[in-house]
Amino acid sequence: MITLGTQGKNTFLEAVNEKSGANVLECYQCGKCVGTCPVSQYMDFPPREIMQMIKLGLKNESYMANSHWFCLTCSACSGRCPREIDIPAVMEAVRHLAIEENYLNTSTKVKEIRKFHEIFLSMIKRYGRNYELRMMAEFNIRTRNLFKDMHLAPKALLKGKIPLGVKPLKSAKAIRRMYAIAEKLEKKK
Amino acid sequence: MKKLTYFPGCSAHGTSEEFDSTLKLVLKTLDVLLEDIPDWNCCGATSAHVMTENLAYALPMRNLVLAEKLENTTMGIACASCYQRMKVTKVHMDENPELARRINSTVVEEGTYHGSVEIKSMLQYAYEDIGLETIKSKVTKPLTGLKVACYYGCLLTRPKNITHFDSPEYPVSMDQICEALGATATDFDFKTECCGASFSISNTEVVESLSGKILEMAKESGAHAIVVACPLCQSNLDMRQPDIEKLQGVKYGIPVFYFTQLMALAFGYPIDQLKFPKHIIPVEGALANIGKVDPSAEKTKKTTKAVKAESEVQ
Repeated sequence: MITLGTQGKNTFLEAVNEKSGANVLECYQCGKCVGTCPVSQYMDFPPREIMQMIKLGLKNESYMANSHWFCLTCSACSGRCPREIDIPAVMEAVRHLAIEENYLNTSTKVKEIRKFHEIFLSMIKRYGRNYELRMMAEFNIRTRNLFKDMHLAPKALLKGKIPLGVKPLKSAKAIRRMYAIAEKLEKKK
Repeated sequence: MKKLTYFPGCSAHGTSEEFDSTLKLVLKTLDVLLEDIPDWNCCGATSAHVMTENLAYALPMRNLVLAEKLENTTMGIACASCYQRMKVTKVHMDENPELARRINSTVVEEGTYHGSVEIKSMLQYAYEDIGLETIKSKVTKPLTGLKVACYYGCLLTRPKNITHFDSPEYPVSMDQICEALGATATDFDFKTECCGASFSISNTEVVESLSGKILEMAKESGAHAIVVACPLCQSNLDMRQPDIEKLQGVKYGIPVFYFTQLMALAFGYPIDQLKFPKHIIPVEGALANIGKVDPSAEKTKKTTKAVKAESEVQ
């Protein structure tokens, strides 16, 4: 059974509004975002439903939904929203809050999406830039799917589509320092 | 000679090296001198803003601070994703000085952020700062007969309050550039649909489905080729095309060019400088249409113009 979280104050709605800079209450549930969204069919709850869930204070359900992980930030929805709500910013706010409060969606797809982003960020931390080939290899290793995209490799490598190396930054240290300060700031909040 | 600060982005040294090198050829002809941001870093792409707010702003800000040290007023960015992250950072910092101070504290070594450099995508720079007339005047080998579907993707024109460029639904800038080169831009409905973007690695089936629809519509529009201005769009549509064909049981064989490759071709650069061998889908079939007279070409051209006129009226 779902219990509504709004006995008195809807603190979840307030947190999402503050983080996203949007006002979720302005949503009047027309559903244009759902029709526009290229990935709504993959979501547990399409954007319109997430908006309503936030209004109802359904924090756990919103955090655990895969919707904010599937959002590609293509901004097609907000471009067509008659209330001009920045829906991708709302999705991002829910995702950031879920990460901060340690809500883990353990479905394979979400785990893979998250792993990809973590590996990408670790490449920047190490080299200051993305090392495409290494990123792909690490993704395959860490998701235990060694042969993913291997059929593309011979052509892509031979044609030089994906180079073997990366030109790291001279001041890679500056990036690592930035990461350290940014992480500290994140914890302070 | 004009000067322009240049942010190539990681893929310029990797998957989109042909975008970078043909852009440089084109700008040489157009008398624009590029100045790279010294020791630039990755903008954080999708991953930084998906996972954390601070890094998503801090990574672009380091580049913006470094760019301010060069004396140019404008920065041109090749990759659409880099462009979006830098522009979002600038707009949000301009709106919120308190946030700007907080983020600036993460890039202490580089100095103070002022927000003084204007940010443009290379498509926007070509369209607004160089202009169609100048582009037209440099064409020595018109692409007459080549029909192209111009695909912009999500990030070059959306969201409107960040990019302030062209239309978020039916942009025409790249179409007009291609027509200035002598090619015919088809009336293509999926100009700003998403290709699946960063799901290329982590959620490939979504990319195959979304990019598949774009290929289907491009074919439907009668195009011989797709033209893009984004490295991720290019690799999703080109590198994943054989798998999409297998999945859908259709043969598209549509090459995916960067708009700068077509510009360089029309400006008369020899074909061996345009990096066509890097394409997974061979380009020769599409290029063979150049110079052929197609009776339906005139009609398609009118359709695009009519649409443009219509959007101006609105």
